[in-house]
Amino acid sequence: MSKDISSEDIEIIQDFIQESHDMLDQLEPTIIELGESCQSVNCWEILKCESDDCHRQGKEIDIPCWLHTGYVGNGLGICTHGSSEAECLSCQVFVMTNGDTETMNAIFRLFHSMKGSAGFLEFDNISRSAHAAENLLDLIRSGNIQMVPEHVDLLCKACDFANEALDYVEEHFNDEGMAEKAEEITSLLRDAIEDAQNRAKFIQEDTVQQGKKNDTHSSDEKASASEESEPDQQDLIGPEMIETFVLDAEDLLRRVELNLLKLIEQPSDEIILADLFREMHTFKGNCGFLNLGDFERLSHKVESVLGEYKEGDVLTDSDSTQLLINIVDTMQSGVADFSSDGDGTIDQLEMHLKSLDDLLQKISNAPPPIPDDAPRLGELLVEKGIINFEDIEEALEEQQKPLGDILIDMGKVTPELITTTLKEQHKIISQDADKKGKPKPRSLPVKRQDIRVDLEKLDNLINLIGEMVIAENMLVHNPDLEGMELENFNKAAQQMGKLVRELQEMAMIIRMIPVSGLFRRMIRLVHDLSTKSGKKVDLQLAGEETEIDKTVIETITDPLVHLLRNSLDHGLEPPEERNKAGKPEIGVLILSARHEEGEVWITLEDDGRGLNREKIIAKAIKNGLLEEESPDLSDKEVYNLIFQPGFSTAEVITNVSGRGVGMDVVKQNLNKIRGKVEVQSKPGRGTKITLRIPLTLAIIDGMLVRVGLSKCILPILNIREAFCPKSSSITITPDGEEIVRVRENFFPVIRLHEILGKEPDCMELEKGILIVLEYQDNSACLFVDEIMGQQQTVIKGLSDYIGSIPVISGCTILGNGQVCLILDTGNLVELKEGSEHAAALQELAQQQSAAEQAAN
Amino acid sequence: MVQYTRDEMLDDDFYGEDEDTQKGKFLTFHMANEDYGIEIKHVTEIIGIQNVTEVPDMPDYVRGVINLRGKVIPIMDVRTRFKLPPREYDERTCIIVVNIDDKSVGLVVDKVNEVADIPDDQIEPPPRTKREGGGYIQGMGKIDEEVKILLDVTKLLYEDELEELDAVSQNSSE
Repeated sequence: MSKDISSEDIEIIQDFIQESHDMLDQLEPTIIELGESCQSVNCWEILKCESDDCHRQGKEIDIPCWLHTGYVGNGLGICTHGSSEAECLSCQVFVMTNGDTETMNAIFRLFHSMKGSAGFLEFDNISRSAHAAENLLDLIRSGNIQMVPEHVDLLCKACDFANEALDYVEEHFNDEGMAEKAEEITSLLRDAIEDAQNRAKFIQEDTVQQGKKNDTHSSDEKASASEESEPDQQDLIGPEMIETFVLDAEDLLRRVELNLLKLIEQPSDEIILADLFREMHTFKGNCGFLNLGDFERLSHKVESVLGEYKEGDVLTDSDSTQLLINIVDTMQSGVADFSSDGDGTIDQLEMHLKSLDDLLQKISNAPPPIPDDAPRLGELLVEKGIINFEDIEEALEEQQKPLGDILIDMGKVTPELITTTLKEQHKIISQDADKKGKPKPRSLPVKRQDIRVDLEKLDNLINLIGEMVIAENMLVHNPDLEGMELENFNKAAQQMGKLVRELQEMAMIIRMIPVSGLFRRMIRLVHDLSTKSGKKVDLQLAGEETEIDKTVIETITDPLVHLLRNSLDHGLEPPEERNKAGKPEIGVLILSARHEEGEVWITLEDDGRGLNREKIIAKAIKNGLLEEESPDLSDKEVYNLIFQPGFSTAEVITNVSGRGVGMDVVKQNLNKIRGKVEVQSKPGRGTKITLRIPLTLAIIDGMLVRVGLSKCILPILNIREAFCPKSSSITITPDGEEIVRVRENFFPVIRLHEILGKEPDCMELEKGILIVLEYQDNSACLFVDEIMGQQQTVIKGLSDYIGSIPVISGCTILGNGQVCLILDTGNLVELKEGSEHAAALQELAQQQSAAEQAAN
Repeated sequence: MVQYTRDEMLDDDFYGEDEDTQKGKFLTFHMANEDYGIEIKHVTEIIGIQNVTEVPDMPDYVRGVINLRGKVIPIMDVRTRFKLPPREYDERTCIIVVNIDDKSVGLVVDKVNEVADIPDDQIEPPPRTKREGGGYIQGMGKIDEEVKILLDVTKLLYEDELEELDAVSQNSSE
């Protein structure tokens, strides 16, 4: 890129960066998933092969069969389970060793489009490394080399590099500074390719040089063809043509859709069918003209199905029509994708083709080919208790006709039953197919329309709306209006108030984004850590759709990373230790997010060895955090010690953790957003850490209370009841604590005026109001002068300058424009225990210093 | 109460203009018989005294928070900060809203005077005193016969912790 870059270029580059970042975020988990799905298998075990001619039979051979006896690469082509390269590539054994073709293609496509855009923008280093990664992937997917775990690591590294390079580009608008690293990653990839190819060649030499067919050559050609067909095609076809095609296609497909819907109402209507057939045929032709192979194949299949309906006497049923509608949907989204610079391919094409094949076969009244793992019709019927095995066997003997028909003939079942069961079978097959084809965001039926906005603009909008709410309040409650009867005005004011509140809510929601992005980033981290430490981990994610404010997500990323590291490094045991403890070898980590008590809770749970109470106490005493003869601490207090800076019980500092910084970061970052950390642990059973994050911008239901001249808001969620106490229910303990009895329970009394340092209306508890606050397991009574009413409260943070105050969780602006504090019930309730404990600790500290002075 | 914005105070100076034009300009205010000045670049606006919501557990000079057009900003009473005798707020009492590192803080002063030009050569280094408050003084500005105490706003806002810590450690070492 030249030095003078126009603002348009910058925009293009920024779009590219954003898109590529998004793509990489998608890539990483997919690559790791792929790597995990790949394993060494014995072909004869998987295929239940009984061929004695094959010299692989019964032996554990390290070399994958498709390179050896199969049809890929320079395989001997003697495998009895396939007869061509295509069959070999779709063979179960190939999928298990070299990854699912669909996933592979998805990864390949992502790298390919990144290479393309980077090349267009002349970011040669990025495009070079992407090209190298693409080469590797191509060899893997075409079966020329075997996939090994190192390849996954390498591809992850390539992603890392791309991310880094993108950051660099963002700053400098070129990638020249990344040349060295690009060279490094490219040569790493090249080495890997060479290694793998050498290995493949070795196999080739090892096997008998039979067959003159040079498969490597042809597949190479194929690979390069698939790579180059696109640019060629784009050279030939101008943007205007694409535009016309897209408009045409959209129109055609819309008509097809409408006609299909009509077909549901009027099955087998000849006119509709003829229309459909024509439209589909035109679409197919257009696609063929633009060289869109996927579309052409799919539309051809649809056309065949429609042809069958048109020609034959077969009645259309709503199920198959629905299937066609789904296919048309897929085409529509495919076309939309193509118009927005997509590569003109259809996701899960094979699956769709297969479902159409099934349909075709069903129409021509032949039993559909059933995948091995899908339950057979007979099995389903037996399972349902409709017929028994003998009947089936009898029927199978004359299996010339479809099983269903035979059974009907035999009078065992009714035709309706067969039809419904067949449908069920279909559903199971399609479900299986769904599971196999990994769902990708691009194939989501609902296409999300996003727009990127500068966060500052959004904040300004939210602030403006906030001001509007206050202005509205001032207007409606204007003193000039007092005492006037204004029926129409009030109506209008009410309407406006409603609108303003809706507007405010919408603005708040805009800032919220789901945690899924954050969670998915952790997949990579866990993968890396588990390979490094040799511990096996199963990371489970839950509640990914939970939405949190964007800034909050940024703040909790670091803490989450530290917590995950800790869980993996200290929490989960190595496999041998787990075996000894009678636990499954693979440790389970559960990362979940959910809404609870008006907060968002992010929980990280492991089933490792748990926190060691004794170790923590011993270490705390050594570090001087605790006194020697500390009172019996609750588990909670002990666990809280781990959040002290520099605290670590690890004997050895590994490269992952052990320096005692991580947990401090967790605490600090959560304090910033007024969140809390909670630790629960059972020795030998695991640890559960909960990050409790307030919804910063959320609106809560608040109760406005007054003490003296000050007003405060209490979250209604935490209020259990309010009452005027009788003097008989109040007890004062010898150390001055006031305890109030509510039915069976005793609660400590907290005087709000003491906390705020204000003068109350009255000091006697009987003359005020007690509000029972409940927070998790703790309860307490808050003494206030008056309850002023309930209201919707928009939480605002107190200024950074003020910092965090334990008893205040934030503030809000009341209708009259005044700032009102929101009380933090959790801390308020815990204040009682805390103060006693703090006093005890202080006493101890004094004793200690006295002892030291005496010693001196 | 009259509201001045920075734009008005600086006449033709508008937002985003080079900082050079703001250099050497100080907003001067009056408090307990003395005139003070702060650099104009920190000042966002000047507003009249408002209804302040008190916040517990704060140093005495942090009066509380106010609502500035939907934004909650803390308010510091500069008199209390300098340990000067308190005085009832009146119609001349002003809040100078300053912005340091994107954080807004309001400073309560007795009375705002004007924006004055004090060139560098008219500013003397602060007198060497060990007395409380000496740390916040950036220099002594001279305009003809008058002397303005120029304050370092950042130190005014943030120095306290350090000093208090120092005091604590000195006490403990004694």
